[in-house]
Amino acid sequence: MVNAAPPSSVFDLEARKCARIRCVNTLPAHDFLFKWTQNVLLERLSDIKRQFPRSALLGGRTSPDFSDALKIQAGSDFLTKMDILPGAGVNVVGEEEFLPFRQGALDAVFSVLDLHAVNDLPGALLQIRRSLRPDGLFLAALFGGETLHELRASLMQAELSLKGGIAPRIFPFADKPQMGALLQRAGFSLPVVDSEILSVSYDNIFKLMHDLRFMGESNVIAARSKTNPGRALFLKAAEHYGKNFKGLDGRLNASFEIIFLIGWAPHESQQQPLAPGSAQKRLSDALQTAEVKIDND
Amino acid sequence: MRLEKTRLFLQDHTIMSAQIDPKLLEILVCPLTKSPLRYDAPAQELISDQAGLAYPIRDGIPIMLVDEARQIEK
Repeated sequence: MVNAAPPSSVFDLEARKCARIRCVNTLPAHDFLFKWTQNVLLERLSDIKRQFPRSALLGGRTSPDFSDALKIQAGSDFLTKMDILPGAGVNVVGEEEFLPFRQGALDAVFSVLDLHAVNDLPGALLQIRRSLRPDGLFLAALFGGETLHELRASLMQAELSLKGGIAPRIFPFADKPQMGALLQRAGFSLPVVDSEILSVSYDNIFKLMHDLRFMGESNVIAARSKTNPGRALFLKAAEHYGKNFKGLDGRLNASFEIIFLIGWAPHESQQQPLAPGSAQKRLSDALQTAEVKIDND
Repeated sequence: MRLEKTRLFLQDHTIMSAQIDPKLLEILVCPLTKSPLRYDAPAQELISDQAGLAYPIRDGIPIMLVDEARQIEK
Protein backbone atom coordinates (compact mmCIF):
# COMPACT_ATOMS: atom_id res chain seq x y z
CA MET A 1 0.00 0.00 0.00
CA VAL A 2 1.33 3.38 -0.98
CA ASN A 3 -0.47 6.49 0.04
CA ALA A 4 -0.35 8.81 -2.93
CA ALA A 5 -2.75 11.48 -1.68
CA PRO A 6 -1.05 14.57 -0.29
CA PRO A 7 -1.92 15.33 3.34
CA SER A 8 -3.76 18.52 2.38
CA SER A 9 -6.41 16.80 0.21
CA VAL A 10 -9.67 18.69 -0.14
CA PHE A 11 -11.60 15.64 -1.27
CA ASP A 12 -11.50 12.16 0.20
CA LEU A 13 -11.04 9.62 -2.61
CA GLU A 14 -12.35 6.72 -0.52
CA ALA A 15 -15.52 8.69 0.29
CA ARG A 16 -15.81 9.65 -3.37
CA LYS A 17 -15.70 5.96 -4.33
CA CYS A 18 -18.27 5.08 -1.64
CA ALA A 19 -20.62 7.82 -2.84
CA ARG A 20 -20.32 6.43 -6.35
CA ILE A 21 -20.83 2.80 -5.33
CA ARG A 22 -23.96 3.79 -3.39
CA CYS A 23 -25.50 5.49 -6.41
CA VAL A 24 -24.98 2.67 -8.93
CA ASN A 25 -28.63 1.60 -8.91
CA THR A 26 -30.19 5.02 -8.46
CA LEU A 27 -28.14 6.94 -11.02
CA PRO A 28 -30.21 6.05 -14.12
CA ALA A 29 -33.26 7.80 -12.62
CA HIS A 30 -31.26 10.81 -11.39
CA ASP A 31 -28.77 11.48 -14.17
CA PHE A 32 -30.59 14.40 -15.82
CA LEU A 33 -27.60 16.74 -15.37
CA PHE A 34 -25.28 14.23 -17.01
CA LYS A 35 -27.72 13.66 -19.89
CA TRP A 36 -28.13 17.39 -20.48
CA THR A 37 -24.38 18.02 -20.32
CA GLN A 38 -23.39 15.15 -22.60
CA ASN A 39 -25.84 16.40 -25.24
CA VAL A 40 -24.39 19.91 -25.11
CA LEU A 41 -20.90 18.43 -25.33
CA LEU A 42 -21.85 16.50 -28.47
CA GLU A 43 -23.26 19.71 -29.95
CA ARG A 44 -20.03 21.56 -29.22
CA LEU A 45 -18.06 18.75 -30.76
CA SER A 46 -20.18 18.85 -33.91
CA ASP A 47 -18.85 22.40 -34.50
CA ILE A 48 -15.31 21.04 -34.68
CA LYS A 49 -14.76 19.53 -38.09
CA ARG A 50 -11.89 17.23 -37.24
CA GLN A 51 -11.28 13.55 -36.67
CA PHE A 52 -9.86 12.29 -33.39
CA PRO A 53 -8.87 8.65 -33.93
CA ARG A 54 -7.73 7.94 -30.36
CA SER A 55 -9.68 9.56 -27.55
CA ALA A 56 -10.38 9.23 -23.85
CA LEU A 57 -13.47 10.00 -21.78
CA LEU A 58 -12.89 10.87 -18.12
CA GLY A 59 -15.78 10.23 -15.74
CA GLY A 60 -18.01 7.18 -15.55
CA ARG A 61 -21.49 8.53 -15.08
CA THR A 62 -22.37 9.21 -18.70
CA SER A 63 -24.80 6.75 -20.27
CA PRO A 64 -23.33 3.89 -22.34
CA ASP A 65 -24.94 5.20 -25.54
CA PHE A 66 -23.04 8.45 -25.03
CA SER A 67 -19.73 6.65 -25.60
CA ASP A 68 -21.03 5.38 -28.95
CA ALA A 69 -22.35 8.81 -29.95
CA LEU A 70 -19.08 10.41 -28.90
CA LYS A 71 -17.07 7.92 -30.95
CA ILE A 72 -19.10 8.73 -34.04
CA GLN A 73 -19.06 12.49 -33.53
CA ALA A 74 -15.32 12.56 -32.78
CA GLY A 75 -14.49 10.10 -35.57
CA SER A 76 -12.70 7.90 -33.03
CA ASP A 77 -11.94 4.28 -33.74
CA PHE A 78 -10.71 3.91 -30.18
CA LEU A 79 -12.30 5.52 -27.11
CA THR A 80 -11.20 4.60 -23.61
CA LYS A 81 -13.53 5.44 -20.74
CA MET A 82 -11.77 6.07 -17.44
CA ASP A 83 -13.39 6.27 -14.03
CA ILE A 84 -12.35 5.90 -10.39
CA LEU A 85 -14.39 2.68 -10.26
CA PRO A 86 -15.00 -0.18 -12.67
CA GLY A 87 -18.49 0.08 -14.12
CA ALA A 88 -20.61 0.09 -17.24
CA GLY A 89 -18.48 0.81 -20.27
CA VAL A 90 -15.40 1.69 -18.18
CA ASN A 91 -12.25 0.10 -19.60
CA VAL A 92 -9.61 1.63 -17.38
CA VAL A 93 -9.77 2.60 -13.72
CA GLY A 94 -7.71 5.63 -12.77
CA GLU A 95 -7.56 8.99 -11.07
CA GLU A 96 -7.63 12.25 -13.00
CA GLU A 97 -4.66 13.66 -11.08
CA PHE A 98 -2.61 10.50 -11.69
CA LEU A 99 -3.48 10.06 -15.34
CA PRO A 100 -2.18 6.72 -16.72
CA PHE A 101 -1.82 7.83 -20.37
CA ARG A 102 1.44 8.08 -22.32
CA GLN A 103 2.61 11.52 -23.40
CA GLY A 104 1.07 12.52 -26.73
CA ALA A 105 -0.90 9.27 -26.97
CA LEU A 106 -4.35 10.77 -27.44
CA ASP A 107 -6.01 12.92 -30.11
CA ALA A 108 -8.77 14.10 -27.81
CA VAL A 109 -9.75 14.00 -24.15
CA PHE A 110 -13.37 14.50 -23.09
CA SER A 111 -14.81 14.82 -19.61
CA VAL A 112 -18.37 15.10 -18.34
CA LEU A 113 -19.06 16.44 -14.81
CA ASP A 114 -16.08 14.73 -13.27
CA LEU A 115 -13.26 17.21 -12.64
CA HIS A 116 -14.99 19.15 -9.83
CA ALA A 117 -14.02 16.55 -7.20
CA VAL A 118 -10.34 16.44 -8.13
CA ASN A 119 -7.87 17.61 -5.48
CA ASP A 120 -5.17 18.88 -7.78
CA LEU A 121 -7.07 20.41 -10.71
CA PRO A 122 -4.06 22.33 -12.15
CA GLY A 123 -2.06 19.09 -12.04
CA ALA A 124 -4.87 17.09 -13.66
CA LEU A 125 -5.20 19.65 -16.49
CA LEU A 126 -1.45 19.60 -17.05
CA GLN A 127 -1.46 15.82 -17.30
CA ILE A 128 -4.41 15.90 -19.70
CA ARG A 129 -2.53 18.38 -21.91
CA ARG A 130 0.57 16.19 -21.85
CA SER A 131 -1.44 13.10 -22.83
CA LEU A 132 -2.56 14.92 -26.00
CA ARG A 133 -0.60 14.97 -29.23
CA PRO A 134 0.16 18.47 -30.60
CA ASP A 135 -3.10 20.05 -31.81
CA GLY A 136 -5.10 17.55 -29.75
CA LEU A 137 -8.44 18.62 -28.28
CA PHE A 138 -9.58 18.87 -24.67
CA LEU A 139 -13.35 19.32 -24.33
CA ALA A 140 -14.86 19.12 -20.88
CA ALA A 141 -17.76 20.13 -18.68
CA LEU A 142 -17.64 20.54 -14.91
CA PHE A 143 -19.70 22.10 -12.13
CA GLY A 144 -18.94 25.78 -11.55
CA GLY A 145 -19.02 28.21 -8.62
CA GLU A 146 -22.72 29.09 -8.83
CA THR A 147 -23.70 25.47 -8.30
CA LEU A 148 -25.98 24.94 -5.29
CA HIS A 149 -25.34 28.44 -3.95
CA GLU A 150 -28.84 28.43 -2.45
CA LEU A 151 -28.26 25.20 -0.53
CA ARG A 152 -24.81 26.39 0.54
CA ALA A 153 -26.22 29.64 1.96
CA SER A 154 -29.14 27.90 3.67
CA LEU A 155 -27.01 25.24 5.35
CA MET A 156 -24.50 27.87 6.40
CA GLN A 157 -27.18 30.11 7.94
CA ALA A 158 -28.84 27.19 9.70
CA GLU A 159 -25.60 25.87 11.10
CA LEU A 160 -24.47 29.30 12.24
CA SER A 161 -27.69 29.99 14.09
CA LEU A 162 -27.87 26.52 15.69
CA LYS A 163 -24.23 25.75 16.39
CA GLY A 164 -22.39 29.02 16.05
CA GLY A 165 -19.96 27.55 13.49
CA ILE A 166 -20.00 25.86 10.11
CA ALA A 167 -18.72 22.65 8.58
CA PRO A 168 -17.99 22.33 4.85
CA ARG A 169 -21.04 20.74 3.22
CA ILE A 170 -21.02 21.95 -0.37
CA PHE A 171 -17.95 21.57 -2.63
CA PRO A 172 -15.66 24.53 -3.25
CA PHE A 173 -16.38 24.68 -7.00
CA ALA A 174 -14.04 26.52 -9.37
CA ASP A 175 -15.28 29.74 -10.99
CA LYS A 176 -15.40 30.45 -14.69
CA PRO A 177 -12.56 33.06 -14.69
CA GLN A 178 -10.41 30.69 -12.63
CA MET A 179 -10.92 27.93 -15.17
CA GLY A 180 -9.68 30.15 -18.01
CA ALA A 181 -6.53 30.91 -16.05
CA LEU A 182 -6.04 27.25 -15.15
CA LEU A 183 -6.31 26.17 -18.78
CA GLN A 184 -3.64 28.66 -19.77
CA ARG A 185 -1.46 27.69 -16.86
CA ALA A 186 -1.70 24.06 -17.96
CA GLY A 187 -0.35 25.11 -21.36
CA PHE A 188 -3.50 24.86 -23.47
CA SER A 189 -3.68 27.18 -26.44
CA LEU A 190 -6.82 28.88 -27.79
CA PRO A 191 -8.74 28.26 -24.54
CA VAL A 192 -12.47 28.93 -24.50
CA VAL A 193 -14.51 28.87 -21.28
CA ASP A 194 -18.22 29.51 -20.99
CA SER A 195 -20.97 28.40 -18.68
CA GLU A 196 -24.68 27.84 -18.45
CA ILE A 197 -26.76 27.96 -15.32
CA LEU A 198 -29.52 25.40 -15.03
CA SER A 199 -32.29 26.20 -12.61
CA VAL A 200 -33.99 23.10 -11.30
CA SER A 201 -37.14 23.32 -9.19
CA TYR A 202 -37.88 21.11 -6.21
CA ASP A 203 -40.80 20.59 -3.78
CA ASN A 204 -38.44 20.79 -0.82
CA ILE A 205 -34.74 20.62 0.04
CA PHE A 206 -34.97 16.96 1.03
CA LYS A 207 -35.88 16.06 -2.55
CA LEU A 208 -32.88 18.08 -3.72
CA MET A 209 -30.54 16.35 -1.30
CA HIS A 210 -31.88 12.94 -2.35
CA ASP A 211 -31.23 13.82 -5.96
CA LEU A 212 -27.63 14.76 -5.15
CA ARG A 213 -27.05 11.57 -3.20
CA PHE A 214 -28.68 9.38 -5.87
CA MET A 215 -26.48 10.85 -8.60
CA GLY A 216 -23.38 10.18 -6.46
CA GLU A 217 -22.77 13.76 -5.37
CA SER A 218 -22.90 13.47 -1.62
CA ASN A 219 -20.37 15.34 0.52
CA VAL A 220 -16.87 13.87 0.03
CA ILE A 221 -14.88 16.81 1.39
CA ALA A 222 -12.06 15.45 3.55
CA ALA A 223 -12.74 17.97 6.34
CA ARG A 224 -16.49 17.26 6.36
CA SER A 225 -18.21 16.85 9.69
CA LYS A 226 -18.51 13.13 10.39
CA THR A 227 -21.13 13.41 13.09
CA ASN A 228 -24.83 13.24 12.27
CA PRO A 229 -25.86 16.87 11.87
CA GLY A 230 -29.31 16.14 13.27
CA ARG A 231 -32.76 16.85 11.96
CA ALA A 232 -32.90 20.35 13.40
CA LEU A 233 -30.17 21.60 11.08
CA PHE A 234 -31.96 20.49 7.94
CA LEU A 235 -35.32 21.80 9.12
CA LYS A 236 -33.74 25.17 9.81
CA ALA A 237 -31.99 25.10 6.42
CA ALA A 238 -35.29 24.21 4.74
CA GLU A 239 -36.89 27.20 6.40
CA HIS A 240 -34.14 29.55 5.18
CA TYR A 241 -34.26 28.04 1.69
CA GLY A 242 -38.04 28.43 1.46
CA LYS A 243 -37.87 32.03 2.58
CA ASN A 244 -35.11 33.11 0.19
CA PHE A 245 -35.06 30.91 -2.88
CA LYS A 246 -38.66 30.25 -3.81
CA GLY A 247 -39.72 30.60 -7.44
CA LEU A 248 -42.96 32.20 -8.64
CA ASP A 249 -44.62 28.79 -8.75
CA GLY A 250 -43.92 28.26 -5.06
CA ARG A 251 -41.26 25.62 -5.71
CA LEU A 252 -37.65 25.90 -4.63
CA ASN A 253 -34.98 26.86 -7.12
CA ALA A 254 -31.64 25.06 -7.19
CA SER A 255 -28.91 26.34 -9.51
CA PHE A 256 -26.37 24.17 -11.27
CA GLU A 257 -23.66 26.01 -13.17
CA ILE A 258 -22.06 23.89 -15.87
CA ILE A 259 -18.74 25.25 -17.14
CA PHE A 260 -17.62 24.15 -20.60
CA LEU A 261 -13.92 24.11 -21.42
CA ILE A 262 -12.20 23.88 -24.77
CA GLY A 263 -8.42 23.89 -25.09
CA TRP A 264 -5.91 22.63 -27.61
CA ALA A 265 -2.45 21.19 -27.14
CA PRO A 266 -0.13 23.76 -28.77
CA HIS A 267 0.89 23.29 -32.41
CA GLU A 268 2.66 25.57 -34.86
CA SER A 269 -0.29 25.51 -37.27
CA GLN A 270 -2.47 27.35 -34.74
CA GLN A 271 -2.81 31.11 -35.03
CA GLN A 272 -0.05 32.91 -33.13
CA PRO A 273 0.10 36.50 -31.89
CA LEU A 274 2.46 38.73 -33.90
CA ALA A 275 5.40 40.37 -32.20
CA PRO A 276 4.61 43.88 -30.91
CA GLY A 277 5.64 46.54 -33.44
CA SER A 278 5.56 44.12 -36.40
CA ALA A 279 2.37 45.58 -37.97
CA GLN A 280 2.58 46.35 -41.71
CA LYS A 281 -0.41 48.70 -41.88
CA ARG A 282 -1.57 51.62 -39.75
CA LEU A 283 -4.65 51.11 -37.60
CA SER A 284 -5.90 54.56 -38.60
CA ASP A 285 -5.91 53.45 -42.29
CA ALA A 286 -7.96 50.36 -41.48
CA LEU A 287 -10.46 52.45 -39.53
CA GLN A 288 -10.36 55.22 -42.20
CA THR A 289 -9.86 57.89 -39.60
CA ALA A 290 -7.28 60.55 -38.87
CA GLU A 291 -4.51 59.73 -36.41
CA VAL A 292 -4.43 61.98 -33.35
CA LYS A 293 -1.29 62.18 -31.28
CA ILE A 294 -1.80 62.09 -27.53
CA ASP A 295 0.46 64.20 -25.33
CA ASN A 296 2.02 62.21 -22.53
CA ASP A 297 2.17 64.97 -19.95
CA MET B 1 -4.51 -25.31 -0.83
CA ARG B 2 -8.12 -25.02 -1.88
CA LEU B 3 -7.84 -21.26 -1.85
CA GLU B 4 -4.82 -21.50 -4.13
CA LYS B 5 -6.81 -23.67 -6.56
CA THR B 6 -9.68 -21.20 -6.55
CA ARG B 7 -7.27 -18.39 -7.22
CA LEU B 8 -5.71 -20.23 -10.14
CA PHE B 9 -9.12 -21.08 -11.53
CA LEU B 10 -10.21 -17.47 -11.27
CA GLN B 11 -7.01 -16.34 -12.93
CA ASP B 12 -7.48 -18.77 -15.83
CA HIS B 13 -11.06 -17.73 -16.08
CA THR B 14 -10.11 -14.08 -16.21
CA ILE B 15 -7.62 -14.66 -18.96
CA MET B 16 -10.17 -16.65 -20.93
CA SER B 17 -13.05 -14.24 -20.47
CA ALA B 18 -11.53 -10.81 -20.75
CA GLN B 19 -8.34 -9.98 -22.57
CA ILE B 20 -6.95 -6.52 -22.16
CA ASP B 21 -7.40 -4.44 -25.29
CA PRO B 22 -3.98 -4.18 -27.03
CA LYS B 23 -4.82 -0.63 -28.14
CA LEU B 24 -5.33 0.34 -24.52
CA LEU B 25 -2.10 -1.38 -23.52
CA GLU B 26 -0.29 0.76 -26.08
CA ILE B 27 -1.26 4.08 -24.45
CA LEU B 28 -1.01 3.18 -20.76
CA VAL B 29 1.89 4.27 -18.56
CA CYS B 30 2.51 4.24 -14.81
CA PRO B 31 0.30 7.01 -13.38
CA LEU B 32 2.95 7.91 -10.81
CA THR B 33 6.16 7.99 -12.87
CA LYS B 34 4.71 8.06 -16.43
CA SER B 35 7.22 5.32 -17.29
CA PRO B 36 6.39 2.36 -19.57
CA LEU B 37 4.66 -0.69 -18.17
CA ARG B 38 5.49 -4.38 -18.56
CA TYR B 39 2.49 -6.62 -19.20
CA ASP B 40 2.65 -9.79 -17.13
CA ALA B 41 -0.05 -11.86 -18.80
CA PRO B 42 -0.06 -14.93 -16.47
CA ALA B 43 -0.28 -12.74 -13.37
CA GLN B 44 -2.62 -10.27 -15.07
CA GLU B 45 -0.55 -7.33 -13.88
CA LEU B 46 0.97 -4.23 -15.40
CA ILE B 47 4.38 -3.69 -13.86
CA SER B 48 6.03 -0.33 -13.42
CA ASP B 49 9.72 -1.07 -12.78
CA GLN B 50 10.48 2.55 -12.01
CA ALA B 51 7.82 2.88 -9.32
CA GLY B 52 8.22 -0.70 -8.12
CA LEU B 53 4.49 -1.25 -8.41
CA ALA B 54 2.30 -3.87 -10.08
CA TYR B 55 -1.13 -2.68 -11.15
CA PRO B 56 -3.77 -5.43 -11.24
CA ILE B 57 -5.93 -6.19 -14.26
CA ARG B 58 -9.37 -7.35 -13.20
CA ASP B 59 -11.72 -8.77 -15.83
CA GLY B 60 -9.61 -7.18 -18.53
CA ILE B 61 -9.79 -3.75 -16.89
CA PRO B 62 -6.48 -2.30 -15.69
CA ILE B 63 -6.76 -0.73 -12.24
CA MET B 64 -4.30 2.16 -12.49
CA LEU B 65 -4.67 3.30 -8.88
CA VAL B 66 -1.53 3.63 -6.81
CA ASP B 67 -3.30 2.56 -3.61
CA GLU B 68 -4.52 -0.66 -5.23
CA ALA B 69 -1.14 -1.55 -6.71
CA ARG B 70 1.08 -4.27 -5.27
CA GLN B 71 4.49 -3.17 -4.13
CA ILE B 72 7.34 -5.18 -5.64
CA GLU B 73 10.40 -5.93 -3.52
CA LYS B 74 13.55 -4.84 -5.26
